[in-house]
Amino acid sequence: MESEGPSLTVPPGFLHHSAVQQFDARIIGNRPVAESWRELTLSWEAEEPSPGQFLTFRPSASSAPLLRRPLAFAGHSGDSGGRVSVIYQVRGEATRLLAGLEAGAALDVLGPLGRGFPLPSSDEVPLIAGGGIGLGPLLFLDARLRAAGRSPALVLGFRTAAAIPELELPGGTALCTDDGSAGFRGTPVDWISRNAPAGPARLYGCGPLPMLAALAGLAAERGWRASLSAEQWMACGVGACMGCALPRSDGGGYLRACADGPVFEAGDIDWRLRP
Amino acid sequence: MSPELAVRIGSLELANPVGLASGTVGYGSEYEELVDIDSMGALYTKAVTMEARPGNRPPRIVETPSGMLNSIGLANPGVEAFVAEKLPELRKRRCAVIVNVAGSTEAEYREVVERIEEAAGPWSPGRLEPGAVAGASGTGVDGYEVNVSCPNVRHGGMAFGTDPAQIEGLTRSLRDATSRPIVVKLTPNVADIASIAAAAEAGGADAVSCINTLVGMVIDVKARRPVLAMGTGGLSGPAVRPVGVASCYKAARAVGIPVIGLGGILSAEDALQYLLAGARAVQVGTGTFVDPRCARRVLAGIEAWMAANSIAKVEDIPGLLKP
Repeated sequence: MESEGPSLTVPPGFLHHSAVQQFDARIIGNRPVAESWRELTLSWEAEEPSPGQFLTFRPSASSAPLLRRPLAFAGHSGDSGGRVSVIYQVRGEATRLLAGLEAGAALDVLGPLGRGFPLPSSDEVPLIAGGGIGLGPLLFLDARLRAAGRSPALVLGFRTAAAIPELELPGGTALCTDDGSAGFRGTPVDWISRNAPAGPARLYGCGPLPMLAALAGLAAERGWRASLSAEQWMACGVGACMGCALPRSDGGGYLRACADGPVFEAGDIDWRLRP
Repeated sequence: MSPELAVRIGSLELANPVGLASGTVGYGSEYEELVDIDSMGALYTKAVTMEARPGNRPPRIVETPSGMLNSIGLANPGVEAFVAEKLPELRKRRCAVIVNVAGSTEAEYREVVERIEEAAGPWSPGRLEPGAVAGASGTGVDGYEVNVSCPNVRHGGMAFGTDPAQIEGLTRSLRDATSRPIVVKLTPNVADIASIAAAAEAGGADAVSCINTLVGMVIDVKARRPVLAMGTGGLSGPAVRPVGVASCYKAARAVGIPVIGLGGILSAEDALQYLLAGARAVQVGTGTFVDPRCARRVLAGIEAWMAANSIAKVEDIPGLLKP
């Protein structure tokens, strides 16, 4: 697939390719943070992941559920022999089994996979927007950008106040709820439309597809660059099976969410793909 | 004494009976860091067609009970890109490389094989580098697997695989184009797989592999539409294993050429079912997605089972099934 059509728009930034390893990680913590949402902390002996990259885990030693599931990194600490965290939603059998694992248990993991978020250029204001499954990677990105001396705006959207996870969110985080029960009433896209900086900005997004499509539209309208992390069903997670295809915006076929992404420059993908 | 693991497919000798199935490891490089490809019996590449194919609209995959559906649509860069970009990498392989070929017409299958023959050069099974694993000729192509069983393309693919006369004609045409071993990959979506296997043998195939995927569909009831954009897809994984084992059992009794078994192999015991059913070798496919170490575990388990049961040669296993 890589050989077809023009090359991707790949800006400089965080690590794009890493040495991938499969190993049994040890679960350090697995705590609920909101209704149906949990934070998992794992020992990590592979290469340090970048925001936007992901791991896959084997949900069961039996054949059901069968396929490995992707989880985006929410943080990393320490060097090799460190730990990583992910934030996940219990929404199927695989994540239900994961939720039942306690500290000390082993988990078959593989990673780091995929290409992460690029860094903003020095004149761009980083705007980080998302919600749902995008929460983990966006918090990771926010932390990394702050550590690099940048001052991103973090805008997180939730259905309602009760769905906001009990996590230490950075000071100044703009919270949005669909029903107005906490923070701004509306979506992160609405918030950014109203509070956009006058100068150049770079939009970072991760979350449900309609939100990504809206962020891509907003970025195009304002002339901003946007780096969006896409979600797609995956079988292998390493670029071999061609299962996680996303349509290219130039009509030149498809890109793989797992290996060409999951973070894409907004202009590279046709975000109108079926949800 | 350690068991004898080599298996013969026509004039090709594979170092061991466990291969990596087409469409599950690309052309090898994607899994390089995770799978010890060179220690396996064979690498069966992703299908190669004459022109580049972008593949089907997404969603292309969905999980099913103990299995998965895929409708990739033979996405591949086309034979010219294969020759220019993939073949140089495949020449470095120390395991046998079986190139999976597909087409919309008999002529396209033949053109693909002819182009690869031209690029790979002559082949002789005896020309092994010192220290190389049996099977690898160093030409990048040690045989062809003819995909007449893909359920996800409109023309060719499975349409060939369900008609004995077409299978025989296609195999014969390819037989004229190459001296390399030819493996015909069969579809289980037929009434009588034995007659299809026999047709491949009559056309000059060196082996048949079975099974490719079973046609399946999953419907999203809330949305009231199929989950896969193409509607149907091909079912693989442990859910299809009993179908695969029975297909191998039937095919092996219909032909004298080796049968290569695949479909839902996750463990050595799964692979041994296929071998006992009559398969001379096996392929691990979906199992690699689940656990990249799967094929290695399967091979180690077969060796351990042979040692525990005092079986000297892996090629003897197909004769051990009790009535």
